[in-house]
Amino acid sequence: MSWIGSLSFPFMQHALVGVLFAGIAFPLIGVFIISLNLIPLRFAMMHVALLGGAIGLFIHFDPMLMGLLLCALSALALGPLSEKTKIGLGTISGYFMTLTLALSFILFYKGKINVIQAFSILWGNIFALTAWDLVIIGVVSLFVLCIIFLFFKEIQAILYDREIALAVGIPEKSLYYLIVFMLGLTIAVSMRMIGALLVDAFVLLPAMAAGMIARSLKQSFILSSFFGLVSGMSGLYLSFRFDMPASSTIILVASFIIALSMLFGRRFTRA
Amino acid sequence: MHHSIELYDIHVKLGDVTVLSGVSVEAKPYEFVSLVGGNGTGKTTLLKVANGMLRPFKGIVKMVGHELWQGANGNNGVRKEIGFVPQRSVSRHFPMRVDEAVLMGRYGKIGLMRKPSRQDWDRTHEALEIVGMTGFAAKLIHELSGGEQQKVALARALAQEPSILLLDEPTTYLDADSQSEIMETIHRMHQERGLTTLLVTHDPHWVEQYSNKVYLLKEGKSHLIRQKA
Repeated sequence: MSWIGSLSFPFMQHALVGVLFAGIAFPLIGVFIISLNLIPLRFAMMHVALLGGAIGLFIHFDPMLMGLLLCALSALALGPLSEKTKIGLGTISGYFMTLTLALSFILFYKGKINVIQAFSILWGNIFALTAWDLVIIGVVSLFVLCIIFLFFKEIQAILYDREIALAVGIPEKSLYYLIVFMLGLTIAVSMRMIGALLVDAFVLLPAMAAGMIARSLKQSFILSSFFGLVSGMSGLYLSFRFDMPASSTIILVASFIIALSMLFGRRFTRA
Repeated sequence: MHHSIELYDIHVKLGDVTVLSGVSVEAKPYEFVSLVGGNGTGKTTLLKVANGMLRPFKGIVKMVGHELWQGANGNNGVRKEIGFVPQRSVSRHFPMRVDEAVLMGRYGKIGLMRKPSRQDWDRTHEALEIVGMTGFAAKLIHELSGGEQQKVALARALAQEPSILLLDEPTTYLDADSQSEIMETIHRMHQERGLTTLLVTHDPHWVEQYSNKVYLLKEGKSHLIRQKA
């Protein structure tokens, strides 16, 4: 079957729409993760999303929605909790990560959830997206885009230096919590699309490539969206063309873009 | 506006360690006050208290005539009146032009979800001119030397058009020429703009030359050790 012909199938149309939204919006979160060094938090959120999925499977509720809810709640709690307890976000993220992983496996065991079902949370399936999934992906994507558009200058100051942002009179804490919240939502949605272990394909890799070339934060955001879209769309096409797993192919393309950015990035930034 | 710095009976704990235990520092409008003391005596901590970055567990922080800690996150309206120059500017790779880094000083005053106006850019370019960095406006911030980055930090504080200037050892990592240049610019700004200035420093030379008052921080307490008539 040809690529064009495959587009008549709803699963393929859903995958394309999902990649379109996620490819544009999710790499923007990667820019936050890199600039604010939120790698441990991203790990924690991936495991929280996994626990959400496990709870969903355990109580026979939509795993993606449950993951989303749990990530949203954790994201709201993590920032203030780390401030109150004076424990760094990295440390408290480590605590969340191990706790949620342990709880997930208990639920898998007690719920007698079969291994394939459990692993569907870890690996995701871009071709299994439902119309309802697309609505959630679309809403989260638009939310991320709107926040960045509305608060661009404040976000720029926070990513540059949180202390300076606070010192010039920006409500730094509230906006930082909002960033953590967006990160939680994005990770939860990405988990459904591409799986908890491969979230970086949409979130981190395009932002890493953009960071090697960009000369302004605006460029970082635009390039990371562009790279996310290119790797998502071409990964999807190549996976179909050569009969390979979509998630892995998307990651391969994103990694190739990073390699190109490494090669040519320095040349651009010297210009 | 009452451009004063009033810190009374400040107590701060960092973890289990009491860093400040009853520190009081006052700078009347337009005064240049220096804060000296050995390493780890809490000078930077006190500056963070004055800037609203750190909440003391006891004491009164009054800046420009207003209590800084009203509500859980402090008073952002007061923060907008305080220019702050940190010890070391960000030198990591961050894609930002020099003029954007200076414009940031205006962000609090511009307000949320609003774009910078022509006037904000004019203030930015004026500030760059004052610190002699006009020619660097389009460069990336991390491409500058330590001294140049520190001038940008000063320009950002000036672009903010503050009533109070807080300086945390602004010359620590600079060579002798850059140190003089930065300190002369600070002193000129203090005089021309009538800024109430609180300087944390190790360097007795600048303390001697510019200060109306000098406080020594020692063992968690403050001591007024010099006051010009």
